[in-house]
Amino acid sequence: MSLPCGTRNYSYNTDMAIIRTKTQWVLFSLFLLALFTLPFYLPSSWFDTVNSIGIIVIAVVGLNILMGYCGQLSLGQAGFMAVGAFTTAIFSQSLQMPFLLSLVCSGLSAGLIGLIFGIPSLRVKGFYLAISTIAAQFIIIWVLKNWTDVTHGANGLDVLQASIGNFVFDSEARQYYLIFSIASLSVLFATNLARGRIGRAFIAVRDNDLAAEVMGINVFNYKLLGFFLGCFFAGLAGSLYAQYKGHISYEDFTFQQSILYIGMLIVGGLGSSLGPILGTVLIESLQKGLTYWVAPWLEQTVTFLPTGFSSGLNLMVFGLAFILILIFEPRGLAHLWSLFKGSYRLWPFSY
Amino acid sequence: MDTFIQNSISGIAIGMVYALIALGFALIWKSSRVANLALGQLVLISSWFTYGMLMQLKFPFWFGMLMTIAFAVLLGWLIERLALRPLIGQPILSLIAVTLGLAYFLEGLTAFIWPQGQGYLPRVFPQESIRIGPATIQQELLWGAVISLVLFILLSLFFKYHKMGIAMRATADDQLAVQACAVPVTRIFSMSWIFACIVAAIGGILISSIAAINYGLVETGFKSFSVVILGGMESFLGCIVAGPIIGICETFGGSLFGSSVKELIPFLIIMIVIMFKPFGLFGEERIERI
Repeated sequence: MSLPCGTRNYSYNTDMAIIRTKTQWVLFSLFLLALFTLPFYLPSSWFDTVNSIGIIVIAVVGLNILMGYCGQLSLGQAGFMAVGAFTTAIFSQSLQMPFLLSLVCSGLSAGLIGLIFGIPSLRVKGFYLAISTIAAQFIIIWVLKNWTDVTHGANGLDVLQASIGNFVFDSEARQYYLIFSIASLSVLFATNLARGRIGRAFIAVRDNDLAAEVMGINVFNYKLLGFFLGCFFAGLAGSLYAQYKGHISYEDFTFQQSILYIGMLIVGGLGSSLGPILGTVLIESLQKGLTYWVAPWLEQTVTFLPTGFSSGLNLMVFGLAFILILIFEPRGLAHLWSLFKGSYRLWPFSY
Repeated sequence: MDTFIQNSISGIAIGMVYALIALGFALIWKSSRVANLALGQLVLISSWFTYGMLMQLKFPFWFGMLMTIAFAVLLGWLIERLALRPLIGQPILSLIAVTLGLAYFLEGLTAFIWPQGQGYLPRVFPQESIRIGPATIQQELLWGAVISLVLFILLSLFFKYHKMGIAMRATADDQLAVQACAVPVTRIFSMSWIFACIVAAIGGILISSIAAINYGLVETGFKSFSVVILGGMESFLGCIVAGPIIGICETFGGSLFGSSVKELIPFLIIMIVIMFKPFGLFGEERIERI
């Protein structure tokens, strides 16, 4: 990390701090202020988008721990979200468990399922692991579809909105605060995790797991921990999703979504704490823009294609964005942002 | 006993179709060490293209087939040239991710051009079923099995004896050494994608002339990953042996535990194989060094 000219550190604590200069403090406070006053001036039609961004950020942060730091590919993130969502639905509905407790339980249950599907990572990696997580996705969704006594199959389950004590998060703005508090905490946790011993070990495992093992890192434990943490966050996201939507069924968690989360992470930048946020915000807002503005406009102006063709538009644009980012900026938007910061810091002197 | 034979024969026939799709995967993996996760989508788009040629533009059958093969060649060449070649030498994660992006793009493209979601090809093969001993079987499935067997033999011979095939195997083994021997590595990658797309197109025509063209084709693609995993990724023989095994497991599982279990079995097999014998029946175990 490069610091602005003239900033020196006199203790280890200041050296390790995330926010180090006064400008950064000011900017950070302004950002937090903007984030938490957003509901006051956000048009009500936008809440849906913003809240789902918050939920997906949590899932993608988890994926970033697993993929970006630990280097284990997971193509089943939506499946693990589904585990969390159904846990919340069952616990809060039939067991009357308070929301925060069922939130944690959702995270834990998704994490445990993740551990089971993480076991193959001991022996295989790369494509083999990718395919085994595809299997995980389909097995989880199959169980949710066919275990009708508990999950009610295609009818799905109704979920109560979250409440703490007597306070019910029953409006979009209240949901916003709930979702974004948890999302901020998750981002903070993931950032600090990556800077600590565990994060360093993850990075060593990612870069070369044999070398990491020789250095005395217990590779299997750390891979499983990566799976647990990644799926834990997916479970949290699923739990929030369930109580936000109020009704879930297995059809809400498709394989396409799993790919989309990976896409968001890659567009944002693997292995950086900013990446998941940037990627999710960009892709989700693109998605809304495409479905609300571009698709209707295209349907009206282009008449030679059969009706309903714009349903493929989202998929096409994301697939393309995904491929282009991989080719031209494989380190994602977060890298572009750091390049921008670096050049801005030295501006107008280029060297 | 009759149901036993019936199940085994139809399982083998269905499994051979999976094996055919898996061959396309093994082709690319064998020559360029790229796992093509867009397998089902390639099948999907080439089936829809055939549909467009035969049903929408009303071309005669032979011309439609010719156009489909030409389309597959073009598609394979474009994919390799535009998406894969810029990523040569990139980490394995990028290579997986780019085929996922490709999967997304192709799926979107088919929904863009053919949004109806369901289509039927004219029946290519005779409809009446054949009796083999006590079992009856759809003739179409048998044809599918025969065609995939023929393709398997052709591909195996090609890889074993043809100069290009040998070069492809060598490329998979060590790209740098092959380049030093003046083998055009990029052309080999192109060829392997083109072949894979042709195989996918043939598979697509076969499956969609038996059933319908819909999103189920993509799921068939996912199921054939189990063939790849069980047989070992770099082995054609593995595909052709593992395909029928998966098919038999599917039909028996389906008849024993109910038809919903049938969808699950390929994925369960993936998990079991990866846990206990990760490199499959015929795959080479790679020993890594630092």
